[in-house]
Amino acid sequence: MTGETMAKLLEMIDIDKSFFGVRILDKVNFDLGAGEVHALLGANGAGKSTLVKILSGAYTLDAGRMLVDGRGVDMSRHSPESALAMGVATIYQNFHLIPHLTVAENVCLADFSTGGKRWVNWKTMRRRALDALSAIGLDIDPGRVVRDLRVSQQQMLEIAIALSQNARIIIMDEPTAAISQRESEKLFGLVRAIRARGVGVIYISHRLEEIRQITDRVTVLRDGRNVGTLPVDDNLSFAAVVELIAGREVKMGRRPRATTLGSEFARVEGLRVPGYGDPVAFSVRAGEILGITGLVGAGKSEFARALFGADRPLSGSVRVEGTLVDVSNPSSAIAGGLGYLPEDRDTSGLCMGLSLKDNISLTSLAKSKSAALSVRRDVQLSGRFRKDLAIKSVDVNQQVRYLSGGNKQKVIFAKWLAANCRFLILDEPTIGIDVGAREDIYRLIEDFVGTGRAVALISSDFDEVLSLSDRLLVMSRGRITADLDPGKTDKPEIMSYCLGVSDQSIRHAAV
Amino acid sequence: MSAERMENGGGGVLKTFVWFWNKAGILVVFLLVCAILAVMTGGLFLRPENILNIVRQVSIHGVVAVGMTMVILFGLIDLSVGSIIAFSGILAAALQVKWMKGQNELWMFAVAVFVALAAGAAVGFFNGFVSTKAKIHPFIITLGTMSIFRGVTLLIGNARPITGMTPLFRRIGADEIKWDWLPFVIPYPVIIFLVCVAIAHFVLRKTSFGRSIYAIGGNPEAAYLSGIMVDRVKILTYTILGVLSSVSGLILTSRLNSGQMTAGQGYEMDIITGVVIGGTSMLGGEGSVLGTLLGVLLIGVIQNGMNLMGVQPYWQTIVKGGIIILAVLMDRLKRAFQTD
Repeated sequence: MTGETMAKLLEMIDIDKSFFGVRILDKVNFDLGAGEVHALLGANGAGKSTLVKILSGAYTLDAGRMLVDGRGVDMSRHSPESALAMGVATIYQNFHLIPHLTVAENVCLADFSTGGKRWVNWKTMRRRALDALSAIGLDIDPGRVVRDLRVSQQQMLEIAIALSQNARIIIMDEPTAAISQRESEKLFGLVRAIRARGVGVIYISHRLEEIRQITDRVTVLRDGRNVGTLPVDDNLSFAAVVELIAGREVKMGRRPRATTLGSEFARVEGLRVPGYGDPVAFSVRAGEILGITGLVGAGKSEFARALFGADRPLSGSVRVEGTLVDVSNPSSAIAGGLGYLPEDRDTSGLCMGLSLKDNISLTSLAKSKSAALSVRRDVQLSGRFRKDLAIKSVDVNQQVRYLSGGNKQKVIFAKWLAANCRFLILDEPTIGIDVGAREDIYRLIEDFVGTGRAVALISSDFDEVLSLSDRLLVMSRGRITADLDPGKTDKPEIMSYCLGVSDQSIRHAAV
Repeated sequence: MSAERMENGGGGVLKTFVWFWNKAGILVVFLLVCAILAVMTGGLFLRPENILNIVRQVSIHGVVAVGMTMVILFGLIDLSVGSIIAFSGILAAALQVKWMKGQNELWMFAVAVFVALAAGAAVGFFNGFVSTKAKIHPFIITLGTMSIFRGVTLLIGNARPITGMTPLFRRIGADEIKWDWLPFVIPYPVIIFLVCVAIAHFVLRKTSFGRSIYAIGGNPEAAYLSGIMVDRVKILTYTILGVLSSVSGLILTSRLNSGQMTAGQGYEMDIITGVVIGGTSMLGGEGSVLGTLLGVLLIGVIQNGMNLMGVQPYWQTIVKGGIIILAVLMDRLKRAFQTD
């Protein structure tokens, strides 16, 4: 399929992109032939989405060239509109569809915006929709409301719409994440059909089995660089792909820490998380940092929220220091000694308009038995934490919205220290935090467990969990797929468990 | 409108103005309006009996505005306050005139006040409970109770006002404190209003409950994840607003010496305007009862001034509508400059 004689459908050459001084893409190359399905792989933050967003016109690039049909594209004028005109379409999970309108209306939506037609002709619309659907052999009634379709049908509808608008390059980002095995098979059938029509497909997925099933080539990105492009054939070794994705180099050494692990500190049994079927169980020892890792969508955050009672778990029990903790809501979970740093600290962790002091005393606010507050005590308490945690602010009365990411995180940390939390659940505690403040956060975590308490450290950063945790759980699709010793594992092994590669031999090959 | 754009070029004056408005705007505007009215009415505005009239009228709105401040601090709203005023008023009137006729006056007074307050609490509790537990915006729930309790008022009163309160009950709205050493008198409603403001100010600043209101208004998710019982705090606040609406209903009924079918109709408009103009953000999280005190005073003064100058009632409604839009715009401007 990838004939060298004719011009490639798409070529992206030496693409550079930085955000806020951080290099996201570094001289990345990618090409796609007509009638080719090209898989784009990489861990979280490897640069996959950035690359396809440059292609679809959502982001501009800093340097590099792009050719469609061998002709250069003027990247200074590249926009979502010009990308569409060039035939680039992205299939999100029903992102482009309007759920309350019918299939026919969604197919003809672009006509509404042109302003050329004043009147809506339902009959024509229906016929056009039928044409678009039957062109790829889809059997959906154009009169149905999109909301009532299955997710896979919505995706296929999106593809039909894209093709009816003459799309030639279709980007599919994790199309099978939310659909069943059987529906996936149908979707693959459709992908093969459009491939036969000469359309090129860029296929992003974390599921390695699918790669072998429907793609022709795979390109792996790591830390914004090309690390390999392989043809997909019988010789393709998953172990090799996993190693390309994860890499072997270790960026941070294991942090030295006088670990004296005590007896069992907390135990979670049969915790069933809303949206995921399988119960989760584990235990933590006193003084232990328990790392939990996995890819985006593995269910780590959902699990953390259920453990803390933020989303009521369907069943299960949580014990801290032998005492059963009621995790039906955060209030009682906190009373039982739990604490939780949410992933999105700005939207869930802090009251931006309130002061440092008021944010730190939030937990004690909920707990205090007496109605009247002592402002002086709060000032003293928050002043002490501000000093101990080295929070950079004007004073304790400054609104937290003006603090940097690292200092905001420290305020949330202080909140839990003030609440006398015993078992702290940290969800991506260093995401978006600069290196210096990151070091401070690590030290806070170590000091916390140093007093005989325990931490569950949830992070998709393998380096972070490898360097910090005493034990490492890997989650994939809502399940714990591995319980590893961070001192004796490496990134390819973790990645293979993240990807849920079922074949034992691959795991051994990867280690 | 981005803060950046306004800060660059041309925004300097506007920014200074917004900064100034934040610091002392409402107080200065209030004094300015008073001065202008004093001049334009040829001193009529400053006559003691006129001022007494203003503060009496403002107190009836103000008591409710205190509770409304708390609800708006959540970023929520209650439209049913006017109907609660009428409903509790008609209950108190019906008890005295119809249902408990001829009984001991003190006993009647106690029962009337208690039943009215309990009724207000019940409606407020209903508003809070249904909107939080069923997760329906209070705008809809209170729109419903607004209609329901206006209807219940009509039912109880048989669509006719109930007049003839007991002398003791009438003192709530009509009597006043007269001390020889004071150059002026203080009507009871004013005292009730100021006591409400003082208590609410203390509660909002110095109690866990009060601080929880700010926290929830600032970020309900963060407050919930910090263990604050968000629903409970909201329900309690709506209940308090219900009780305060009843207090207002009692004052109004006492003052008019009559339980009126249309009592409190349209009050929610003036009350919400007063709260917002007093600096409480409709988006929640920011504001104070002291701001509300000035806000309702400003509305009362403007209304009174327009009356004195013989402005047609139609124009008055137009002006009031303009003021609330202006107040919300000021809030938006304030926030635009706050973004980091």
